[in-house]
Amino acid sequence: MDLPAEEEQPLYSQRPEWADVVPLEQYESVAPLAPIFYTDEYRDATNYFRGIVKSDEMSPRVLELTENIIRQNPGHYSAWQYRYKTLMALKSPLDDELQLMDELAIKHLKTYQVWHHRRLLVQQTRNPGPELEFIANSLQVDTKNYHTWSYRQWILAYFNDDALWSHELDFVEKMLESDVRNNSAWHHRFFVVFQSGVRNGDEDRDAVVRRELAFVKERIAIAPNNASAWNYLRGVLDHAKMPYCELQAFVLPYSLPQPPLDTPPEVVDLESPLPSKDAQLPCVAAVEFMADIHEAAGGGDLVKATELWKSLANEHDTIRKRYWEFRIAESLKTKSAGDG
Amino acid sequence: MMRQPRRSPHDSYETETTDHQTETETILLKHLPLSPDSPSPLQRDSHLQFLIRNLIQGFPSRYISQDASQPWLLYWTLQSFSVMGVALDPNNKQKAIDTIMAWQHPDGGFGGGPGQAAHLLPTYAAVCALAIVGRPGPGGGWDQIDREKMYKFFMSIKQSDGAFLVAHHAEVDVRGTYCLLVTVHLLNMLTPELLEGIPGFIMSCQTYEGGFSSASQPYFSAEPEGPILLDSPRPPLGEAHGGYTFCSLASWVMLQPYLALQKPSLQRPSLNFKTLLRWLVQMQGSEIELGGFRGRTNKLVDGCYSWWVGGCFALLSSLGIVGAHGRDDNHQSSTAHEEDESWDDIDDSLWDRAALQRYILCAGQHPAGGLRDKPPKAADSYHTLYCLAGLSAAQHNVFLSSTRQDAIVHGWRTPVESKHEQLRQACFSHSLSWTEEEGTSRVLGAQNNRMNATHPVFNLTMTHTEGMMAHFYKQTIPSRPKKT
Repeated sequence: MDLPAEEEQPLYSQRPEWADVVPLEQYESVAPLAPIFYTDEYRDATNYFRGIVKSDEMSPRVLELTENIIRQNPGHYSAWQYRYKTLMALKSPLDDELQLMDELAIKHLKTYQVWHHRRLLVQQTRNPGPELEFIANSLQVDTKNYHTWSYRQWILAYFNDDALWSHELDFVEKMLESDVRNNSAWHHRFFVVFQSGVRNGDEDRDAVVRRELAFVKERIAIAPNNASAWNYLRGVLDHAKMPYCELQAFVLPYSLPQPPLDTPPEVVDLESPLPSKDAQLPCVAAVEFMADIHEAAGGGDLVKATELWKSLANEHDTIRKRYWEFRIAESLKTKSAGDG
Repeated sequence: MMRQPRRSPHDSYETETTDHQTETETILLKHLPLSPDSPSPLQRDSHLQFLIRNLIQGFPSRYISQDASQPWLLYWTLQSFSVMGVALDPNNKQKAIDTIMAWQHPDGGFGGGPGQAAHLLPTYAAVCALAIVGRPGPGGGWDQIDREKMYKFFMSIKQSDGAFLVAHHAEVDVRGTYCLLVTVHLLNMLTPELLEGIPGFIMSCQTYEGGFSSASQPYFSAEPEGPILLDSPRPPLGEAHGGYTFCSLASWVMLQPYLALQKPSLQRPSLNFKTLLRWLVQMQGSEIELGGFRGRTNKLVDGCYSWWVGGCFALLSSLGIVGAHGRDDNHQSSTAHEEDESWDDIDDSLWDRAALQRYILCAGQHPAGGLRDKPPKAADSYHTLYCLAGLSAAQHNVFLSSTRQDAIVHGWRTPVESKHEQLRQACFSHSLSWTEEEGTSRVLGAQNNRMNATHPVFNLTMTHTEGMMAHFYKQTIPSRPKKT
C-alpha cells in the first residue's frame, strides 16, 4: 500500500527496531562550508543510512529506509545504488518494485535516477513491453523529457525485439500530430528508421527513404517555420547520400514570399506539397537550403548562393549574420581553389 | 531606442512548442535594453552577496535536493568568484579544503557528500574546487587525494565501448567522460589504457542534427575470441543537446594529443564539423530572445547554455575550424587595438558575442542577486556560474597558442622515453597553451562588466590550472610574456 508522505512517522532514532544501528553524522570532525539546512527527518534518515552502509546491511528494513530517503531527495544516487544492491541481495520481487516506481513517478520524481533504476530493473525482469506504455503515459505530461525519450530508445535498442519496434512509427506519428515541432519525437523517428538496423519489411532502403521524404515534406507544408522538420530532411538526405538539389522543386516555393492572392493555383504535385496559405514566407531554413543547392552546383551558381546568404545575413536571419558571411567567404575560397 | 524585434513565426499553426515560445518572447521583450550598447550593468556586489550568503550562512532546506551535489554547489560558487576576480580569505579557504576532503571516498574518487558513493561528476567538481582553494603540503588537500585508488575506481567503471558509468550501477553518459578526462589531466593520471576507445564513443554520440547526445547504444557480435564492438548500428540515445555537446567537444579537444600519437591525421577518425558548426550557430536565439542560447532545437533559451553552447566556439576554433571563435594563433596581432575601434573590425567569430552578453546582462541577472535561466525564474548557483562563464566566453578570445605550447615543451624537465611519457607531456603542454588574445576582448557596456578569462575546456582560470598541473606533473611552467 502506498504510505502517504504526510503521515507522521517517528524518526528512526526513536524507533526501537532500529536501536541496534549506530547512526553516523555526516560531518564528524569538520564544520563544513556551505552547509545545507536539513530537515530533522532528512538528517535522521541519512544518519541511519550512513550507519547501515558502514555495517553493509542488506535487509527489508533497508528497503524501507532507502525509500524514505529517495522520497525526500530523489537525487540521492547512493541511496538508489544501495537500494538496488539490496533488492538483488534479497532477491526481492522486481515487479513490485516497478509498481512502486510507477507510484513515485506520479508523485513527480523526475530525476534521472528514477529512470535509471527502472533500466536496472527491466534488465532483470526482461519484460520491456509495459515499460513502453509507461513511457508513453509519462510523455503525455512532459513531452520532451530527455531522460524519458533516451530511456525509450535504450529499451528498443537493448531488447531489439521486432514486436517492440513494430508500433514505434505509429507512436512517433501520434506525438508529431500532437506537436509537429517536438524535436525529441523527430529524433526518435530518425533513430527508429535509420539507426537501428534493418527489420523485416524494411529491406528496400530506397523505399524507406522515399517514405521518409514524403512524410517530412507533408509536415513542412503544414508549418514551414519548423527547424526540427528541416533538420530531419537534411538528416535523411545526408544519410542516404542524396544531393540536396533533388529537393529543389519542393523547396523553392518555401524560399520565396507568398504569391499574391490573385495568383492562379499551382497544379498539385504530390511530390512537392505547397506551403499552406497561412505560412509565413520566405522561411529561413528554405532559403538556407536553396543556398546549399547552389553552392553544391558551383560555378556560376555561387552568385545565387551568395545572394541568398546575403538576404539571410541582412534581412531574414540577422542574428546569424556572421555565419552567413562565413559561408560566403568559404564558397569563394573553394571557387578559387577548385576552378581549373 | 531598439526597434522592436520580430516575433518567431508560427504559420498560424500553434502547438505546445509555439505556445511556450510566444510566452517566453513576451516576457523577454520587457527586458530589451533601451539601447543595444548600453545593457543593464553587471551587479557584481549583488551577485557576490548571493553567493556568499549561501556559502557562509548555508543553503535553505529546499537544497536537500542538492544533497548529493555538495561538490557542485561549492565549485559553482568558487568558480563564480574566480571569474569575478574574487578570492576566499585564508580561513574560509581552509574550511573549504577540509570540507572537500570529507567527500573523498575510501575506495577512491569523490562522492556528492561524506560517505556517498564515488561518482565522476562530484569528482570533477571536488578536484576543480581544490584547484581554486587547495595547495601542496599537509592540510592543503592536493597531496591528500588518493590518486592510485581513484585510478582503480576509473578503470572499474570503464566500459568496453569506450564509455564510463558515472558510478557503480549508475548511468553511462558523456558528462562522465568529460569529468573523468578533466580530472586525469589536472592530476596527472593519463594513461593510454584509460583513454582507449573513448574517441569512438564520442563520435557515436553525434546526431544527424550535428550536436551530441548523452550516450550511444553499443552492439556486439559474438566471436570465438570474445565479443566485438560493431561500428553499426551504434545509435545515439537522446537528441542533440547543449550540455552533452559541450562535454563531447571538450573531451574531443582533450583527446587530440592522444589521437595524434595514435595515427597519422589522414587515417584519423573525425567528427562532422560542418553539421556541428551549423547546429551550434542555430542554437543562438534571435533578437527577440535577446541572443541567448537554447540547448535543443525548438526549445527555449536558457542562461546556462551561454557556457555549454557559447563556450563551444573556442573549442571548435582550436580544432582548426577557422574563425569559429575568432582569430587563431596564425593571425595573432602584435599591435594593440584602440578602445574605440569598431567591434566588427576585430571580432571575426561566427556567432553574435555582443548579443549573448546582452542576454546575460538584461535577462540573466536576477534583481535580488545571482543569475538565472530566464526571467522570471529564481537565481541559483548553477546558473550564476554558467551565465558568468558564458559572459567571459563572449568577451574574450582564448585560443591554443603554438608559441606557448613550444615554450612549455621546451621547459619539460624529465626525459620523454616511453609512449606513456610522450602522452603526458603532450597533454600537459596542450592543456596549458590556452592564451587570452590580447587587445581583442570586447566588453558590452561598462568595463565593470568585464569577467576574467577562463580555460575553455576546464572552466577554471589559467592561473588555477597552471598551479595545480605544475604540482602534479612536477614541472615548472614558464611565465607568460608581459602584456604590451
